[in-house]
Amino acid sequence: MSRPYSLQLAKFQSLIALFILCLALSILSDKFLTVDNGWNVLRQISVNICISVGMTLIVLTSGIDLSVGSVLALSGAITAGLLKSGIELPGNDLFIGFTMLGAILAGLLTGSVLGCFNGWIITRFKVPPFVATLGMLTIARGLTMLWTKGYPISGLGNNFAFIGSGWFLGIPVLVWIASVVVVLSVFMSNKTAFGRYIFAIGGNENASRLSGININKVKVLVYTIAGLLAAVGGIMVTSRLDSAQPNAGMSYELDSIAAVVIGGTSLSGGRGSIMGTVLGAIIIGVLNNGLVLLDVSPFWQQVVKGFVILFAVIIDKANSKAE
Amino acid sequence: MLLKVGKYVVLIIAAGLIAYNSVYIKKLSELRSAEVKPFNAKEYARDYLYKKLPSSAGKAIEINELLAQLETNPLSAFSKYSHSLSEGDSKYFLVSGTGTIAEISDEYIFLKSKTAANVKIATEYIVGNTARDASGLISMDEFGNSMDINTVSEEINKLIKTEIIPPVKAKAKKGDLIAFKGCIELSKSDVKLDNIEIIPVFLTIKN
Repeated sequence: MSRPYSLQLAKFQSLIALFILCLALSILSDKFLTVDNGWNVLRQISVNICISVGMTLIVLTSGIDLSVGSVLALSGAITAGLLKSGIELPGNDLFIGFTMLGAILAGLLTGSVLGCFNGWIITRFKVPPFVATLGMLTIARGLTMLWTKGYPISGLGNNFAFIGSGWFLGIPVLVWIASVVVVLSVFMSNKTAFGRYIFAIGGNENASRLSGININKVKVLVYTIAGLLAAVGGIMVTSRLDSAQPNAGMSYELDSIAAVVIGGTSLSGGRGSIMGTVLGAIIIGVLNNGLVLLDVSPFWQQVVKGFVILFAVIIDKANSKAE
Repeated sequence: MLLKVGKYVVLIIAAGLIAYNSVYIKKLSELRSAEVKPFNAKEYARDYLYKKLPSSAGKAIEINELLAQLETNPLSAFSKYSHSLSEGDSKYFLVSGTGTIAEISDEYIFLKSKTAANVKIATEYIVGNTARDASGLISMDEFGNSMDINTVSEEINKLIKTEIIPPVKAKAKKGDLIAFKGCIELSKSDVKLDNIEIIPVFLTIKN
């Protein structure tokens, strides 16, 4: 039996919303539909896409990660700190310097370890993801302040700054990174057994356990991947600013959750897609950009964004009910 | 089995290569001895004010001569005698001269002027980049960053305020003949010569 027309339409709701938004902004601002602004929007959303992809995987398992912003900040700060100052071991009269590759790997490792720790706490001690990651939010932010002593770490060199401001084959490097993350994640979620397990766990955890899926292992891995992607975002932000800011990534978790929800991923898990999240991130990016171009006060921008998120959740609920 | 071992060998080699290209180790003591001495703005300012500037005494133009040239041909006077490290409208001149003290206030020593200009030597508010830029002896290329060059300005002003002015101001009185070398700031687009404020870099009472 074919699905009702409204349900088929619901599959494309994010795309339709994006189209209407772009159309409206093109009419309201002559600066919106320009090539430069297009690249600008894509560069701005690249970081959110990376974080949101990780968040999608977590939400698909019916979890949540509030710590991505802080993990992003700490990973960026570790990368910047090691690149700039290395590690001094006065007792052994040794200085361990880090190349760009080494510093980036250390940043990625930091994010992965923190993500893994989140997953371990959630699965080992059955702590609700909201609480466990809220704890990590504070821990990672505190560690960032300790590592940076509350000051930005700047002047990281042209090679590192190239990640955030350079172009490759006519496309910004940030957009390349986000694209690679999206392609790999789509492949993983759609074409691998691990991806199927993620959907299965979110759909019905007990049934998944009974069918032999190692729930804890999958969850720990999902949180680790989210931490790794937050670290990728941290390196991107640090490079773009050529500086690791102790307060970087503040409220990024909210933007990424918004992208996931607007993209149609169900907060109760088991239903959603990476591409939907990418669309959600683009909608938020376009909305932010459009409101700035229309000279809307930043305070009103927050109000509008809040309503968009609420609207997306209501639509999602209505869709679930209809299904 | 062989395949598994091979896989591990490849992984270990890859990890080793990555690690080799990720970190480098040096002796901390060697690194510290090779470190460049941090810029000392205080030392630089003292050297500038007491060594560089006096040795370039000839570069200062007599103030009345400058005022006359500014009256008749301001463009030529600006191009010949003014300096500035920034692209702004304000330009700075290194001037010298002598004058009789007409009045002393908390903020200025006013001089009797041969022209209509009201010439005064600042003694209280020594601020801005006038003293740093006027001689043209300081170049941006000498500094690693803009913060250093701004600090130099602060330090020069501080030395003028604490070391150049106080001994002279303490014994100066109305009617004394005072010799000075100092710096003045003028706007290139709006040259006003009726009120000349000199930031002194050298002061002495000639009586």
